[in-house]
Amino acid sequence: MTHPQDLSLRQQAEAIRRGELSAKDLLEATLERLRSRDSSINSTPVIFDELSQAQISQAPAGPLFGVPITVKDMFALPWRAARNGTSHNLIPAGASGPYRSLRDAGVIVVGIANQHELGIGSTGLYSAYGPMRNPWNPLHIAGGSSGGSAGAVAARLVAGSLASDSGGSTRIPASFCGVVGLKLTYGSVPYDGYFGAATTFSAPGLIARDGGDARMLTAAMLQRPLPQQSGSGLRVGVVREPYWNDVEHEAAELCTKALTLAGWKVTEVKIENLELAGAAFLGRLIAEAGIPSPEVFATVSEPTRALLLAGMLTPARIVPRADRVRAAIRYSLAAALETVDFLAWPTTPSGAPTLEDPWVNLPSGRVPVDMPNVRQNSLANLTGAPAISIPVGLSSAQLPIGLQLLGPWGSEARLLDAAEHIERASDRAFVNLVAPLAR
Amino acid sequence: MSDFEDWARATYRQAGIDVDENELALVELIYAGALNQLEMLDRIDLEEFPARGVDLRHAPKAT
Repeated sequence: MTHPQDLSLRQQAEAIRRGELSAKDLLEATLERLRSRDSSINSTPVIFDELSQAQISQAPAGPLFGVPITVKDMFALPWRAARNGTSHNLIPAGASGPYRSLRDAGVIVVGIANQHELGIGSTGLYSAYGPMRNPWNPLHIAGGSSGGSAGAVAARLVAGSLASDSGGSTRIPASFCGVVGLKLTYGSVPYDGYFGAATTFSAPGLIARDGGDARMLTAAMLQRPLPQQSGSGLRVGVVREPYWNDVEHEAAELCTKALTLAGWKVTEVKIENLELAGAAFLGRLIAEAGIPSPEVFATVSEPTRALLLAGMLTPARIVPRADRVRAAIRYSLAAALETVDFLAWPTTPSGAPTLEDPWVNLPSGRVPVDMPNVRQNSLANLTGAPAISIPVGLSSAQLPIGLQLLGPWGSEARLLDAAEHIERASDRAFVNLVAPLAR
Repeated sequence: MSDFEDWARATYRQAGIDVDENELALVELIYAGALNQLEMLDRIDLEEFPARGVDLRHAPKAT
């Protein structure tokens, strides 16, 4: 008999609606799987046993009634403060805006998704709960900052997770773990009770196994229907430098194959001033990051502490210049998106590196994976645009690779259409790949 | 003590933060990398990059 967590999120919702599966049985099976399977990846360090059972009786009969999900540690819940990957209660308990949207659709929050501490890292190596590991190979990182969200979905502990994305934090772990990760348009949902309210880069993100499941979660988040349309015949823009040229050959090759399978018209496009995007992102991000309270600062890991200390030294004169460049790049991106439906490039420069050596060898040299990860993903955060990462196969090391699609502001439905089109064109070969831990 | 170390220690002292030598070495490495990138912003021509309002929720309005 199929374990309920081997069903897709929409199959779970449909089975409950038809009376073929009770919300209580689904929850019990989910809790059992979390207890038995999570110890090797550390995706969900806090599990709500009794609280999740109590949620069933209060859940409205929405489209996701009874479907268990996890929520990243960046969102306040009515019964738990948001800790942002630290051991401190940083946003008091309460119903955060993104949580309310999913609650109103009927989901059951079964646990807290682990994350890189304070959200400032793309590896998932540092967290008050310990490092996150990859379900494809626990010696490799899950990515970050939403590594717990992506790991739990890839390991089939839950079929969906609420994540967030300030510089790729949803898309990077989705790419490394072989699942779908969608960053919403900036400000498209209420931000109260969410750490994203403190930056101009962050947006909630959703992680699921395929485009159909991501569509259900996204529609619930945005509180509007996202009707499916054909994703064929779309126009794709590629920006070669640096997004395609400075990645591992295998990553570029798998992404190119996926675009070819889709049969989309691909053209090269140029985004004016793109070479300044990294500096503009970094300049403003550092200004917004600030320094946490002395109590929190005293407990963060050495690398996080060093990042925060370096940020303190950054000259303030940079910030207005970063803002001018940011405004200009938004215009350049909008101009590029008038000629194509979306832009595409590899989400991450490679498959997930190991926990022991989180560096990658690129044409430009050997670097910590954080650097190219942020470079490949920060354009969406700098401009506010939505972007999605979809799995497009495995590297020779049997690690997933993701293709990123970035679309115009408010184009979540089109990005999901594109994701589902690739799934159909590939006979679901990529989304049906199952991590060893989940077999 | 290098100029960087003097300056960084003074900054952190003002904020009530103690740093040891090893930590300062890591900070210097990160800061140098960041500054290398941020200095690109010092070289932009401000006339080519006018100050404009940014509403991240939407595409920029046509000019």
